[in-house]
Amino acid sequence: MGRGWAIGAALVVALTFPGESTAQEGYSLEVAKIATMAQADEVDGRRLFEASCSTCHGVDGMGTENGPSLEGVGEASADFQLRTGRMPLANRGQAVRKDPAFTDERIEALVEYVGSLGDGPPIPEVDLTDASLVAGQDLYIENCAACHGATGAGGAVGNEALAPSLSIATEVEIAEAIITGPGQMPQFDFSDARRNDLVNFVVYLRDQPRPGGADIGGIGPVPEGFVAWLVGLGSLLIICRLIGSSRKAEPEEAA
Amino acid sequence: MKPARLVYAAFALSMVGSLGLVVYYFVGESAQVEGILLGLALGGMGVGVIGWATRLMDVPTVVEEREPLESSTSEVTQTEEQVSQEAVTRRRMLLRLALGATGTLGAALAIPALSLGPRPGQSLETTRWTSGARLVDSFGTPQRPDDIPLDGIKTVFPSGFEGAADSQTVIIRIDPELLDLPEGRDGWAPEGCVAFSKICTHAGCPVGLYRAQAKQLLCPCHQSTFDVTTGCTPVFGPAARPLPQLPIEVDEAGYLVATGDFPEPVGPSFWNMDTE
Amino acid sequence: MLRWIDDRLGAAHWARKGLKKVFPDHWSFLLGEIALFCFIILLLTGTYLTLFYRPDAAPVIYDGPYEPLRGREMSAAYESVLRLSYEVRAGLVMRQIHHWAALVFVASIVAHMVRVFFTGAFRKPREINWMVGVTLLVLAIGMGFTGYSLPDDLLSGTGLRIAYSAVVSIPFVGPYLAFLVFGGEFPTEGIISRLFVLHVMLLPAVVIGLIVAHLGILWRQKHTQFAGRGRTESNVVGKSFWPQQFFKSFGLMLLTGAALALLGGLVQINAVWNYGPFDASAVSAPSQPDWYVGWLEGAIRLFPAFEPTILGVTIPSMFIPGVVIPGIGFTVLALWPFIEQRVTGDRESHHILDRPRERPARTAIGVGGILYVTILTVAGGNDVLALTFNVPIEAMVWFLRIGLFVIPLAGGFVTYKLCREMQSSGARVARREPGTRLRRNAEGGFEEVEPDLKS
Repeated sequence: MGRGWAIGAALVVALTFPGESTAQEGYSLEVAKIATMAQADEVDGRRLFEASCSTCHGVDGMGTENGPSLEGVGEASADFQLRTGRMPLANRGQAVRKDPAFTDERIEALVEYVGSLGDGPPIPEVDLTDASLVAGQDLYIENCAACHGATGAGGAVGNEALAPSLSIATEVEIAEAIITGPGQMPQFDFSDARRNDLVNFVVYLRDQPRPGGADIGGIGPVPEGFVAWLVGLGSLLIICRLIGSSRKAEPEEAA
Repeated sequence: MKPARLVYAAFALSMVGSLGLVVYYFVGESAQVEGILLGLALGGMGVGVIGWATRLMDVPTVVEEREPLESSTSEVTQTEEQVSQEAVTRRRMLLRLALGATGTLGAALAIPALSLGPRPGQSLETTRWTSGARLVDSFGTPQRPDDIPLDGIKTVFPSGFEGAADSQTVIIRIDPELLDLPEGRDGWAPEGCVAFSKICTHAGCPVGLYRAQAKQLLCPCHQSTFDVTTGCTPVFGPAARPLPQLPIEVDEAGYLVATGDFPEPVGPSFWNMDTE
Repeated sequence: MLRWIDDRLGAAHWARKGLKKVFPDHWSFLLGEIALFCFIILLLTGTYLTLFYRPDAAPVIYDGPYEPLRGREMSAAYESVLRLSYEVRAGLVMRQIHHWAALVFVASIVAHMVRVFFTGAFRKPREINWMVGVTLLVLAIGMGFTGYSLPDDLLSGTGLRIAYSAVVSIPFVGPYLAFLVFGGEFPTEGIISRLFVLHVMLLPAVVIGLIVAHLGILWRQKHTQFAGRGRTESNVVGKSFWPQQFFKSFGLMLLTGAALALLGGLVQINAVWNYGPFDASAVSAPSQPDWYVGWLEGAIRLFPAFEPTILGVTIPSMFIPGVVIPGIGFTVLALWPFIEQRVTGDRESHHILDRPRERPARTAIGVGGILYVTILTVAGGNDVLALTFNVPIEAMVWFLRIGLFVIPLAGGFVTYKLCREMQSSGARVARREPGTRLRRNAEGGFEEVEPDLKS
């Protein structure tokens, strides 16, 4: 009887805390640690970093075999990765957008700390008041469309990497991504004016008028072909079926 | 609803749609409204006509006999005889000459088609790149190595030929430690800057996708993948030739310049290309 | 009125024959009509577009309402399409109807061709009409390609580049031919106006001529029909052309127009302003041609990096999938009636249609062929698929490379078995005699004789 209970309890424990990948486990433990730090008045970026990031990025941010060195990545990079929730990394593979793991305050502290590790780009100022849509479109097609698509819908860029859709990112996030080249994205070194043009255009893409009607994805002939077959020919096939006879109907007596 | 009423209603709706279109032309511009009204106009009439044909007409099924398609044997023989009359067939020599003259006339009339385009000559084997040509971006600004961020990519052209399609080149900055270029090309990578033709060697699309961490260029058209560290050798996809590499160096003023044209033809392969 | 015409043309007798002509009623016989009506709508909307489009590659500066391109240099052709879309009343809806009609046109040709194939309607005496039809399919694809390349935008220009490379890849004559067709090394200023001449004059002339021939042959030979009560090889059972069939067809034309009008107004297609004017050093992803060229795109994507040099002649890796395989494919398709005649030895005239299950081998080959082309078409969008299903592109390519052979073979095999199965259990197979046949065996009992089925 006692042994049964023990086994049952062990089962319950095992099911409640299933084994997962090391990163996931590490992540959950760090979040637990951060919760216990909530008492601190001023959030200490360095301590936060040691608690949440050093497992992969090393105690001084100099990197381990699990994560790259953060020396010289700058505040822009840290801000981008943390605000878009890409970091902390949940699974192996490409870092993708998810809910941020930290509050704004904590992000600011972490950003300040990471920024202090070397001489990297600061968080960019984005000022769209004088931005030119024309220049932005030109720059976008030349530099961004090959991966993110002419309408910013994103695309597969090979080897499991995905260039994400650009419909969600904030202006600052877009600028940060351009500067820091997160993940497989290259880094781009534009002047502030040109970068503002580009950001302005990306934002424009979201709400640009669609005078022709429904967008169906904005990625061109693939969805258009599906619609032509399913809706176009499909509806006409149904009409033919209604107009004509089918084999099952016996012909009337010949006149 | 009785079939007749349906047909009446359909025609009436069609008229509403058509009149609506006429009015709307003057008051509005939306393609959606135009499409719906036109759909109504055409659809209403279509339903009306079909309803009339299928429900309101009392049309019996008819049987029609097929006459044999082929003509009678005597008819065929007579036709053959009509064609091959002695007046024509006896003159064998004349017939042959006439056919020969027609053939040569055809060739003569077809020959001006060669005016449609120039002969390829060396066009496919050369680009606008020459020794001493500075690498400029699409605005014409000459590039220094520092103008390209580490793990960055830029599209460049020879100075004076911005936008020249056959000369389009990408320049990528890589950590020099990672480079493993083919024999004799160590001098082609000043400060980790390597330049390659942007024209895919498969079907000619611009190879615009750069995976910065993997150091691989991907062509979006058919997914040919090139490994930059080994000189853009193809590692996946249908491209069989590496992207030709442009020999470059830094001139005295600090700008990147080419030291010659690409060593091989750029772009897709062709039957007599010289890859030595 | 009729007398007035008849006095001059002697038309009354001939007209009556035509009006009385009998057409069978089956719904699947209307598919070819849909293609015809799509073509009529293409002609009408296309004429409208021709009045606004400028087939001119000369650069102009855009000065219209689409903000992101204002002040940009672009070809007059591209500018005219922007103007038509944004500044001409009803211009955009006409343009979109035209493009949707093109997509549905080729789809309906394929549907019609599939019906004709599976019912054996291409057999004697209709081999010529089959070949006319296959030619029409090829020309329709050509018209579509030339048509969507006219706006000179980034996406279609990328497709032109690929077409140019396909021509260049032909051994011995490739570069010469490509320079002749394009007027020089890609990109050329002249190609747009040449495509225009092809698209609005030369190709439509041939297509119209072939459609007239196609319909004329059909009229002369009379339509085929399914087996059934009262139907034989020497009659046609149906309804007369006037009034019923004509009204139905006319109504179907209107409904086709309605469907295309709704699509043209409600669903955006080929928004060329997003791609921007063609720039030979830029590209967008994903890049696909219109669906009816997708099979070619897929073939080029899936074919491996095989580029041998034989006796000093390089065979570029896109030559085989881009030129050889389509050439062989369309040739086999066009010659199919004769291939089947050879194999089955059947040189009789046929006016009664097969049910697909009665011809398991042909049906299986047809299904295999359709699966093959479908997989190629799907492969043309493999990067979109990879994005949609969150699968690496490389894995998708390998899956499709293998599937390209496995799936048609498996599908054909399954189809064959299904046809045989349906034959033996089918309730009303036209040629099967009613009742069970029994035979007395040596022991004195009775056993059922298996019906002798056609294969």
